Amino acid sequence: MQDLHIAASGTSPEVDFRFSSHRLALIGESYPENAAAFYGPVIEALREYLAQANGQRIEVHVELRYFNSSSTKVLFNIFDLLNSATGSNEVVLHWYHDEEDDTILEFGNDLHEDFPSINYIPMAIVA
Amino acid sequence: MQLDVFNAFRDHALRNGVLFYFNGYFSHNVIGAMGDTLRHRLEAQGTKGAVTRRVFSTFIEMAQNILNYGVDAERPEQGGQMSLGAVAIGELGDQFYIICGNHIDQAHVDRVREKLEAIRSMSNDEIKQAYKQQLRSQDHEEDPISKGAGLGFLTVARDSSAPIEYTFIEDQGSPDKVGFYLKAII
Repeated sequence: MQDLHIAASGTSPEVDFRFSSHRLALIGESYPENAAAFYGPVIEALREYLAQANGQRIEVHVELRYFNSSSTKVLFNIFDLLNSATGSNEVVLHWYHDEEDDTILEFGNDLHEDFPSINYIPMAIVA
Repeated sequence: MQLDVFNAFRDHALRNGVLFYFNGYFSHNVIGAMGDTLRHRLEAQGTKGAVTRRVFSTFIEMAQNILNYGVDAERPEQGGQMSLGAVAIGELGDQFYIICGNHIDQAHVDRVREKLEAIRSMSNDEIKQAYKQQLRSQDHEEDPISKGAGLGFLTVARDSSAPIEYTFIEDQGSPDKVGFYLKAII
């Protein structure tokens, strides 16, 4: 299926979902005017990709500097989807966080608790 | 406004540590621009990264609340909504405060008070637990009033170092709307 690329804006992240090479990345800021509207097509494409992925190693890179509360909920739903794909695939999550800031790391750790089948790799960014 | 009155207004704001004040229409673009300015200001004065993120996060949650729930608003279906409100961000001693104000629907006052009272009574650990629980809950999608994830006030509480303060002020002119003021200390 076709790769999905959405350029970053000041308030929404770059979406770089390379389904062809099983590498999915979210990079930047996430406080769009309407998180459900922004992420709707992203989740749709992800759902379609995961429905056909089988026996793959899927690399996910999430490097968000900040996400607002409505994006948080959407991210949780994205990881819920990825977790449900771990039966027939390996999902590796690279979770980037500011070395000095615990909030994003804690959220990553919470995701790991909820979705233990995802191979969770926290990545500290040194300021 | 006379120039000397404006000068007094500015002095008064500075003495109260106000870094930033805005009163007017909030739009998505205005919020983005204010957020950039705020972050730049905090970074330029050497505020720690974690503190900057908490102040920024609280500002965004409050500003997006004004945009989404303020009643003095225009919300065209095609996006580009605007809503009247005010926000101030300041620094006193080693703490930051963020205050916002806008009109909300009188019919929502009890609901908002109930949510805030519940959060005010929680310890930091209880706030974290409530946040996690809300994150996992699917019930919120059934909520006809909320436009977000039901995590906004909990996010503000999580980033605050003291209980959230709030007040409602009746508007004599229009009984169907109420002034809603919120204050967080980081």
